[in-house]
Amino acid sequence: MVEALEREKVEYIFGMPGGANLPFYDALWDSKIKHVLVRHEQLGAHMADAYGRVSRRAGVCSATSGPGATNLVTGIATAYADSSPLVAITGQVAKAMTGKNGFQETDVIGLLTPITKYTVQPLSAAEIPSAIKKGFFIAQTGRPGPVLVDIPKDVQQEEVEITFPESVEIRGYRPSYPVDRQDIERAADMLAKAEKPVLFGGGGIRISDASLQFTAIAELLMSPVITTLQGKGTFPEDHPLSVGPIGMHGRAEANRIVQECDLLLAVGVRFSDRSTGTFHEFAPDAKIIHIDADPTEFNKNKLVDLSILGDANEVLTLLYDALLRRLTKRDDNNAWLKHLNQVREDLKGIPAYKDSYAELSGPKIVKLMRSILPPEAILTTGVGRHQMWCEIHFKVLRPRTWITSTGLGTMGFGLPAAIGAKFAAPNVPVVDFDGDGSFVMTEQALATAVEERIPVVSIIINDRSLGMVEQWQRLMYNRRFIGIRFQNIPDFVKLAGAYGVQGRTVGSLQEFGNALREGLRSDQPSVIEVPVSHEEDVFPFMPPGKGVKDTVYGTSKEMAVF
Amino acid sequence: MFRVVHVVRLMRLNIEGMTLGVTNGGEDCRITITLDGDEAAVEHVARQLVKVIDVLEAHTYSPEQVTARELALVKINTDKMSLSDVQKMKSCRIVDSSPHSVVVEIVGSAREIDDFVASLTTSVLDIARTGVAALPKEVPA
Repeated sequence: MVEALEREKVEYIFGMPGGANLPFYDALWDSKIKHVLVRHEQLGAHMADAYGRVSRRAGVCSATSGPGATNLVTGIATAYADSSPLVAITGQVAKAMTGKNGFQETDVIGLLTPITKYTVQPLSAAEIPSAIKKGFFIAQTGRPGPVLVDIPKDVQQEEVEITFPESVEIRGYRPSYPVDRQDIERAADMLAKAEKPVLFGGGGIRISDASLQFTAIAELLMSPVITTLQGKGTFPEDHPLSVGPIGMHGRAEANRIVQECDLLLAVGVRFSDRSTGTFHEFAPDAKIIHIDADPTEFNKNKLVDLSILGDANEVLTLLYDALLRRLTKRDDNNAWLKHLNQVREDLKGIPAYKDSYAELSGPKIVKLMRSILPPEAILTTGVGRHQMWCEIHFKVLRPRTWITSTGLGTMGFGLPAAIGAKFAAPNVPVVDFDGDGSFVMTEQALATAVEERIPVVSIIINDRSLGMVEQWQRLMYNRRFIGIRFQNIPDFVKLAGAYGVQGRTVGSLQEFGNALREGLRSDQPSVIEVPVSHEEDVFPFMPPGKGVKDTVYGTSKEMAVF
Repeated sequence: MFRVVHVVRLMRLNIEGMTLGVTNGGEDCRITITLDGDEAAVEHVARQLVKVIDVLEAHTYSPEQVTARELALVKINTDKMSLSDVQKMKSCRIVDSSPHSVVVEIVGSAREIDDFVASLTTSVLDIARTGVAALPKEVPA
């Protein structure tokens, strides 16, 4: 097992040992692979997930059988929902004990099959090398995803002569498809004819490392660019053509412009309900070209006019060349961009974009944080209002510097993800921008950060509430608040202190800025608590099941005077 | 197999029948699933099935596009229906007989089997049906 992992160039394993994987851990003792000890297996899965998103190579987590394996579930479901390459290695009870409900037996293959790309259980030691090779190949190719390798304890202990395959052949698996050149020509014709094109980038661009091509096409066409939440950073958000993310809490001008386009070039997106709102109202007048590596995404939620199957990197390279044969760089003063600027101007004054908040407010903190962080810094988040403030106000400048759980929306992702990201990019500052509700779900990752001297900065926007739920109860459930309010616990400074981490509560923007700069300079993890009002909601807000025209730009009070 | 069932279940489609048999000299396995659902849902299931790593191909067919057969074993109470009456029935074949019952096999469409069982009325003691196996018809050039 260990040699098979070494041959896959695995650097780190995020995990926790237990009875059923002790033989494997014993062999790790002699390996140069570094084991990173977590305090809960879910955190190991999140670390491996983020490591994979940043490095584009499968992160590895490990757990023992039974509760070790079941603790992985949320982490693996998170990676699956966001197409992240991950290999999970679990120990299993010995074959002779299978199915007898012995100590720490669970059917982890049965549990994880619906949330993995593949599962494999070698039943003899001789099968281990090909099982692991296959696992990495499947996890990292095509549309990436998590793979489970479940190995019974007696198989780990078996002594046999082993050969390592150079490659694996999997008959039913096609990681890539040849790009149809006629589709490229048709797409180029459509784009060349379009007067009001919009480029729409998703996580698929990050996965296939196609930001350069995507940007080149945008600049050639002088086309506005929108993204999904997962696609933030696939196009630099400080670029004049960037309009920002669309969706439930997208930028107002992005949601507006996509409704008016006559051609939408969608790359590596899945038209999720959180991005589009109601499917039939989304981009109603546009012809849509959809590029994706996964053929099952075509016409799933939104019918499109042309679908192009293939890796975004390759398809966009071919498309750029095809466009160059048809046109030269468009004027940056064209009517469509003039209109875009008008839309921007019209929406500039919406309450959501005004700094009408208290001294310490989510949006202000986010904007200040952006101005302090260097462009290459990686930001991870939890899930909730703080994440949505980042969506709206944090400009992501480089690909793979924005690591967030969007598909599953897993609270508690932020801190372990920050640690995993730092392992993948040790020379880059990594910040976890979190909420109090999210942070406490995985706070024990601080122990790993301290032990491994991982200097991530955790910023906790503390509203002492499950803020996003509070917002929904305020706006859609007639202010019947239930199950959201936290007492003033924990004391985050003391909590950090209990782990030996420098923690502080800030009382002003200036204090926040100083604390963040200090955290970035430190070689130790740190925690910054930012107390905010629980009543500050996130706008713009496109209510669930509604379309762009129903977007709310501020509180009812603010909208009354807007 | 587990993944295949999972994909169908996820779309809330009712599996009316499912047959599985080894083909290609033991290399492959052909599964025929009979589903009741609208075309778009069934098509979505097929597309998701292609994505399952161990699935080589997945196709959808409407009933008229395939040749479909099902086998049923029916145990008949010969105290209620005489053996000679059973022997007279052309559509089935006796495959086992005991003092008070016989087992017959019948091969046909699901409808033919339904009709056959209905014709036996109260003489039926037990039924085992395999579910439908199907092959696509040749598409006219």
